Amino acid sequence: MNVRAEHHAMDCLTIPATGRTPGVSFDFVSGHLRMTGESYPDDVAAFFGPVFEALRGFLGDPDGGPIRFDMELLYFNSSSAKALMNIFQMLETVAKGGRPVTLTWCVEESDESMRELGEDFAEDLRHVVFQMREMPAGGPP
Amino acid sequence: MLAQQYASIKRDLDDKGIVFSFSGYLSEGILYSLGEALREKMALEAADGPTIRRVFSVFVEQMQNIIRYSAEKVSGTAGRAVELSAGMVTIGMERGKVFIVCGNTVRNSEVPRLKERLDHLKSLDRDGIKTYYREQLREEPDDGSRGATLGLIEIARRASDPIDYDFNAMDADRSFFCLKVSV
Repeated sequence: MNVRAEHHAMDCLTIPATGRTPGVSFDFVSGHLRMTGESYPDDVAAFFGPVFEALRGFLGDPDGGPIRFDMELLYFNSSSAKALMNIFQMLETVAKGGRPVTLTWCVEESDESMRELGEDFAEDLRHVVFQMREMPAGGPP
Repeated sequence: MLAQQYASIKRDLDDKGIVFSFSGYLSEGILYSLGEALREKMALEAADGPTIRRVFSVFVEQMQNIIRYSAEKVSGTAGRAVELSAGMVTIGMERGKVFIVCGNTVRNSEVPRLKERLDHLKSLDRDGIKTYYREQLREEPDDGSRGATLGLIEIARRASDPIDYDFNAMDADRSFFCLKVSV
């Protein structure tokens, strides 16, 4: 896979989207994390490995501020679902420790499957603030 | 003779409403390309985004099941590591619905466990499938399944009719496994 992760002293993690791997834009300075596009990588572990690693570094900082995670994926396969669940569990852990975390699950209007998936993922989030947001069809600008 | 033979294969596919068919060695690259063509075809027929993604989702999970679990694989290095899995995938239209039928060879020793999983899925209603998905989402994958359970639940969830499966014994060691899903 031809994905290059660019690290800038861990201020951010930016991975451009490909046809089958999501766009990742994690701004660790402002605490705004975002995933866009679609996720069905041919090698899930290879794609998500660096994402987990960067997140662990960011979430491990005891002085970290509030986090806003925007989940804007239009489609993800079942292996990616497991990886996403891992990310949300990491967020739940720091939220439980007192760090404010908001997870916004974006769904295209009329995409009932994605809305239902959002509910499935939100089910055991107790400390992360979960909200559902509708996007116009065709995704965000 | 040549054209007649192949026209007859083509006619069989057409009669079953099959629009796409592939038989042979599958790879992630073929999954991607065939998936693109499937989505383009559906977009041309003015299907909406959520419908296309529902069909695409079943297609991806079915293809990845073959790629991971086909008992007929070749691997080696051809410049880089290559692993190809033999199987069949057909996509068609039947009574206004898209159907995807995938087939691949499985070891007979795996048949009982696969049957048990599929029968369990078939026995569940929509809410049951949803609950099962939520449970499996939070489970560590069991040995050897590489996440297959969640993939099968995803398939059952997107299906508009109950999933249909069958096994055909090939020899003492292997069977041909078929899974039909209508979306």
